[in-house]
Amino acid sequence: MQTFPPSDLVTDAGLILITDELPAPADFLLHRFLHIRIREVKQSSCIFLSVSEDFDRVKTVASKAALNLAQNAKIKFIDLVKGLEASTEKATANADARLRYIIRLLSSDISTMDAAEEQILVILDDIASLEWLGFSTLDLFRFSRALKALCLKYGAVLVIRHHILNASEPGHLFQLLLQLCSYHIEVRPLASGRSGAVSGELCLHPGPCEGEPRNRLLSRLTALQYRLTDGGAMFFNKGTSEGVL
Amino acid sequence: MSFKRRIPSNHANLPPGTRISPSSPSTALISTGIPSLDDILGGGLPLSCSLALLAPDNHSAYGELVQKYFVSQGIACGQQVCIVDDDGLLLARGCMWTSVGSSASSPPVNNDEDDGKSAQSDERIKIAWRYEKMKMFQTTVPSCNSSKDDYCHTFDLSSRIPESVVQDACDTNRLVILGVHADHDVKVSMTGLLGKIQDILSVSSETGLMRLCIPSLGSVQWGDVEPADVLYFLYSLRRLLRQYPHACASVGLAPHICSEAWGGHGWIHKVGWLTDAAISMSGFGANPSLVGLFPSHHGLVQIHKLPAPHTILPASDKYSTLRGLSSSAGANAGSGENNLAFRCTRKRLILETIHLDVEGGVTERRTTLSTNTISLDTGLINEVIDEHTNNKGRSRAALEVEFEKAVSVTADPLDSQPLASSQSAALDAATTTPKVKKPKKKVAFHSDRPDLYDF
Repeated sequence: MQTFPPSDLVTDAGLILITDELPAPADFLLHRFLHIRIREVKQSSCIFLSVSEDFDRVKTVASKAALNLAQNAKIKFIDLVKGLEASTEKATANADARLRYIIRLLSSDISTMDAAEEQILVILDDIASLEWLGFSTLDLFRFSRALKALCLKYGAVLVIRHHILNASEPGHLFQLLLQLCSYHIEVRPLASGRSGAVSGELCLHPGPCEGEPRNRLLSRLTALQYRLTDGGAMFFNKGTSEGVL
Repeated sequence: MSFKRRIPSNHANLPPGTRISPSSPSTALISTGIPSLDDILGGGLPLSCSLALLAPDNHSAYGELVQKYFVSQGIACGQQVCIVDDDGLLLARGCMWTSVGSSASSPPVNNDEDDGKSAQSDERIKIAWRYEKMKMFQTTVPSCNSSKDDYCHTFDLSSRIPESVVQDACDTNRLVILGVHADHDVKVSMTGLLGKIQDILSVSSETGLMRLCIPSLGSVQWGDVEPADVLYFLYSLRRLLRQYPHACASVGLAPHICSEAWGGHGWIHKVGWLTDAAISMSGFGANPSLVGLFPSHHGLVQIHKLPAPHTILPASDKYSTLRGLSSSAGANAGSGENNLAFRCTRKRLILETIHLDVEGGVTERRTTLSTNTISLDTGLINEVIDEHTNNKGRSRAALEVEFEKAVSVTADPLDSQPLASSQSAALDAATTTPKVKKPKKKVAFHSDRPDLYDF
């Protein structure tokens, strides 16, 4: 049975862009990044910037993986929309200003974590909902660029999740985000529709910001298939059963 | 010494009309009122989840029917129900109810009153020995028969909710109507409405669980809504439900906002991402060819998203019998999902698996190709020699076999040549753009009708 993501992806990469579609959501992957980070990396802390996910679900799923997040003070859960609403009480209700407020908030959090000499993982879930809620593509691109710069400054790994509505026309925001990323993980549904044994497949593509990709890449032809379970996913190579079927 | 049976503490703490989800002990489910919809959702709608029901057919009101079931089930269980609609009381008064004496007997699934078949005679049929152990073929889940189980009541579409029940629910504040009262600024009025919903949710958190029903989001009473407004509302509603996890919501989208023509590219997926569960019930109203293809159903069901509030895998994937995805199905492991459709009988709304007919169907006797096949050589004449030629003087029988476009007439052996050429010309003139599916297959012998092409 395969494992994904490879551990140096979780620790060393710059910006990892995860894209998914409605029939094959990638929330399991985000949870997996979190679990691997907390379990395997000593001195690590995580910031979960959430638009859609709620902390209860993250905690419950982690408990199925035998991780107790409530007691783990190393994970900080930030409700992004709440932060954005809080910022409107300040000077202007400008979208740009609100997003800058979030960056300032984050930068203070990250700098305190960095001062404690911890390796930081920042997860943004997800950026497409922000676009649908009214933020412009340009504002969101600038926000993600600022996030990336912040994470690069402190050596943190940034994971951004983005929803694709149409695989053949991914959209302008995706194209912009792709320019920023070091790795692009694409989670796709099976072309033949939903199945009981295989929930979807994922591919790992190199992004333009990573000079020499150290990890084994997964093209669409050699995609890793996965099957969801209550607490996570099992991975196996395409065409093999490897303990799943 | 008497041994008292200890009630498991879970059951004692559950509010009436709820059940624990089979996949996660921390999730409580409530029934939507329709057993087959509950099955598709994985046992029921989990608390703190929002369900978006899209019914894109303008000519029917199946979306509203599902919302009425939701309200009826809430009232029947004694739960709090809040209808967000200017005519909410009218909707509540039009709800269905359990039929009188339904607790005594409830019809088994296969014995549909529309069929008129009796199940008893089936049991006496001697089935081939290798099939004896197999279950009877069922296209849907059985409705809940026990009268003691108040999780899902069996509602009867032919009986209306008694006015006294509605009045009683209103008086005891179990039924709350919240008017939309939209004004020209849709965003502001939506924010105000969400504030009122939040107030209701915070008040009701002490008194037990609450069902929110928004029967037609985006309809005229909501004003001039834009796609962004609808998305904002759905997103904010979901956030509210997370904040008040004793409640859940069923949102019906008005028919005209259910299509990509209104919402833009990827609209349905956007709705799916911003809600916990999204299901489309597309009625056949606008499409007569589908009516002919699936004569016993009224629409197709598409599942876009299923609720998984505390797990990665939605409960429905493992436990839904209708979808057929569970890997415990043995021989069916790894197979795809069942196609689903719904039909509305006189007494109830049923969602069930849909299967294509045996080619040609059992009622039609066919002598030629199925009309669903597109003939590769349309335009050429197909001569069919028929045994039942009717010799009436001219010894010519007019046999009319309708293909996609090709119409053939038996040729008169005497003047076959000129007929052939004139018919080819007529055929070319008659061909129009081919339809993919022909609704009705006709094999007709018009022995007394004159020829189509009388030359």
